[in-house]
Amino acid sequence: MSEREFLRPRWRRGDMTIAEKLWQISWSYVLIIAVIAGIGVIMLYSAGNGSFDPWASRHAIRFAVGLGVMLTVALIDIRLILRYAYLLYAATLVLLVGVELMGHVGMGAQRWIDLGFFHLQPSEVMKIVLVLALARFFHGTDIEQVGRPTVLLVPLLMVAAPAVLVLRQPDLGTALMMVMGAGVIFFLAGVRLWKFGVVLAAALAALPLAWSLLLHDYQKNRVRTFLDPERDPLGAGYHIIQSKIALGSGGIWGKGFLAGTQSHLEFLPERQTDFIFTMLAEERGMIGGLVLLALYALVMVYGYLFALRSQHQFGRLVVLGVSTTFFLYVFINVAMVMGLIPVVGVPLPLISYGGTVMLSLMVGFGLILSVWVHRDVEMGRHG
Amino acid sequence: MRHPSAPRSLGRSRTSRPFLYPGEEIRPAATPRVRLEGASKRAVETGRTRLMVTAGLFACAFALVGLRLVDLMALPEGAGTPGPALARAASDDPRRQDIVDANGVVLATNLPVVDLYADARKVPDPAGAARRVAALLPDLDPATLSEKLSSGSAFVYLKRGLTPRQQEAVNGLGIPGLEFQRAERRVYPQGRLAAHLLGATDIDNQGIAGLEKTFDAELTDPAAGPVRLTIDLAVQAAVRRELEWAMQRFQASGAAGLVMDVNSGALAALVSLPDFAPENFGDAPDDARFNRATLGVYEMGSVFKLFNTAIALESGTVSLKDGFDASQPLKVAHTRFQIRDYHPQKRWLSVPEILIHSSNIGSAKMALKTGTTTQRHFLERLGMLRPVDLALPETGAPLYPEPWREINTMTIAYGHGIAVSPLHVARGVAAVVNGGLLPTPALLAADAATPPMRVFSQATSQTMRRLMRLVVTQGSGRQADVAGYQVGGKTGTAEKVSSAGGYDRRSLRTTFVAAFPISQPRYVVLVTLDDPQGIKETWNFATAGWNAAPTAGRIVARVAPLLGVFPVAPTETARWDGEILETALTQEARLALH
Repeated sequence: MSEREFLRPRWRRGDMTIAEKLWQISWSYVLIIAVIAGIGVIMLYSAGNGSFDPWASRHAIRFAVGLGVMLTVALIDIRLILRYAYLLYAATLVLLVGVELMGHVGMGAQRWIDLGFFHLQPSEVMKIVLVLALARFFHGTDIEQVGRPTVLLVPLLMVAAPAVLVLRQPDLGTALMMVMGAGVIFFLAGVRLWKFGVVLAAALAALPLAWSLLLHDYQKNRVRTFLDPERDPLGAGYHIIQSKIALGSGGIWGKGFLAGTQSHLEFLPERQTDFIFTMLAEERGMIGGLVLLALYALVMVYGYLFALRSQHQFGRLVVLGVSTTFFLYVFINVAMVMGLIPVVGVPLPLISYGGTVMLSLMVGFGLILSVWVHRDVEMGRHG
Repeated sequence: MRHPSAPRSLGRSRTSRPFLYPGEEIRPAATPRVRLEGASKRAVETGRTRLMVTAGLFACAFALVGLRLVDLMALPEGAGTPGPALARAASDDPRRQDIVDANGVVLATNLPVVDLYADARKVPDPAGAARRVAALLPDLDPATLSEKLSSGSAFVYLKRGLTPRQQEAVNGLGIPGLEFQRAERRVYPQGRLAAHLLGATDIDNQGIAGLEKTFDAELTDPAAGPVRLTIDLAVQAAVRRELEWAMQRFQASGAAGLVMDVNSGALAALVSLPDFAPENFGDAPDDARFNRATLGVYEMGSVFKLFNTAIALESGTVSLKDGFDASQPLKVAHTRFQIRDYHPQKRWLSVPEILIHSSNIGSAKMALKTGTTTQRHFLERLGMLRPVDLALPETGAPLYPEPWREINTMTIAYGHGIAVSPLHVARGVAAVVNGGLLPTPALLAADAATPPMRVFSQATSQTMRRLMRLVVTQGSGRQADVAGYQVGGKTGTAEKVSSAGGYDRRSLRTTFVAAFPISQPRYVVLVTLDDPQGIKETWNFATAGWNAAPTAGRIVARVAPLLGVFPVAPTETARWDGEILETALTQEARLALH
């Protein structure tokens, strides 16, 4: 009997030592994440025109802190996470309401809470916590119950409440990401396809109404500009036109490190945050862009491997839910800078400069690792 | 039911679970498969399929962005996007067509020049060659030149646009590796006169602004003839001269003016000041490059009362006989905001009087009676809510309220809360006076006149012409009148938005829009001055009647003969003016005026 098989009953009970847990962490996964964050530091060094100040150094420090947080979360017993999922969700929802009532207004939107030492963006935290809450819900619901529409009302409300709050900030991108991420969890949990059809049809029907009532002028302009960027080349269309020029000028191998003219001469806006992929592609070329995309795809592949190996529904849904959120960040950002979708302020994970996103993603990765470490733990319906 | 996935070596009896999750069964191949029946089996299959479906979708999404990346970065750009290839073509075949005015006067043409370049691989003594060339072309820096000549590259420009004499001198040096390339440089014989219309070209003679940009394809087509404009250079010069005069006299920071044929929409002149020398487009400040006549959108002020009145009359909600109470400032419901008049009459005003005294209160009340929907509908038909379809790339998109509330209806009645370009206003006024047909502004003589759209009836247009004449004979536009040309028009003074928020009472934009001869209009003239100051001669007034109106009058006096408009006898004008006074104004109103 191998050691692994000998250990298994203990693992199923979940009593592992810290050392065992550390041993079980997928270090190759951690390495990929570190490599991506390293690329982020390099690109932010370039964005600062060859200086660690103001972005690269702080990004590195944040990643180091995030790494510690990730490993700590990875060691937390997954059953504990299941037990407190709803509580975390409720707490974050309260924070979101707090933003609504007294948040800080930055860049025309109300998204921040000042915690004194840190500006917290509860909507980013909510993306992860929502996954936990939904995963817990579907963990405790078998396929028969999932088939009943009334049962689905609870998780629908769990998605709708934060989505509406975030939409009011206004932050269309985050609201859409939450809804899409939740949709994937619903799908994986076995919700019937026709129900998605109904929701989709309802959404399409509500679209004209949303256009005139919910969207702000700047959001409408972004959609119009997406359809025709030349409409307003110095205003709303500026970002995307400059982004495409920078991409087109990068070529296959790029212009070289620190040599991206479009980004360094400040034609490219927001090069340290939303448009950092453009700068990477300009300086490192198509090859650089494809390598980064491949790394991101690898993170997704790992997510699927972890999910397949998890013995419990909760873990599976958490891994795939968090991975989906991660994927949505990557896809929305990259597709945006290439002009495939309208401009929405979504950062590129682990690369763009920004604290809350980094932290919430690292917590998310920690959760994924926790699922992997505790993959064999046995869980009842309610933890 | 037994849990299907219990590990092999440890007896299944220990672990039985109450139910099965979808996808529970998915395991690495090493785990034994357990047969499942019925619902559980379907659940497992659903779970597995869905996992794969999402994985597939994610893979597709990655493939999509990957392909797009390759498309953007590695594949050659599609037709229509100017790339480096086009830049090369420009010097191989340098012929660019001329641009001429309505009478064939050349506005833009080419000067043959040569470009000096070097094949640095062939230059034997770069430092010495650099010194000798720099001695002949003193604006070149010997150090840079030496660097270029020793770069080893097969093609490097040393100086572009040499004169024949310079070419001869450099050629006389006999330095191997220095070569000449035939090229052309765009020149604008009229200087700044039509700068904002013509735009500019870059060093490769490609259009980068104005008509040079719009018609880049036509201008580079060797088979096409010169591009002929509707602009009459004499009219353009007169308008520019008068605007310059006004800018200086009233210490305005900018000005714009245009002359448009009311029926065809053809522009005889279009000027924006300050302007730039087209040859030095790149060095001009942004302010000078900004086309205030077509690209800038502004709150145009009381000239909008013309549209407001015309809409009210056309929709039938108001007739000339109606009156509105302008005795009190108009309080806007649920706000502290009040609409006041600049020249308060403090009494009931008839519709013509509202225009003559330019009453904001009366106009707002008239608009309320007409209704928000009707107002929006008509302004949309007047083209006030979308960019003007003009052959210039520099056309501004109007700003208008969304949603369009009652308060907006009230302020838009007197031209606040909506921003349009001066060209929008000129075209709208053309439709008001020409019998009600909205023309399409044209700059190209060859443009087939697009069929105009009817906005107002003949009767409304007729009434409005009379009212516009009243504004000039009795109201705020007196200084715009020109003997013999029957000017009709309307003043507009808008307070500019202050950087501190709200409106700035002292910083104004004054506009006068005129049509002449108003009995049978042929041209619309629009003048707008940016931030004019009150001067001694105007008793420190800075409103439109004191600066924009006299400027428009001076323009009319100069361009009317050029445009072939014959003066009307003074007796005839006087008879007509008297008749308007009789028919349009009530007895009381006439008494009040005197």
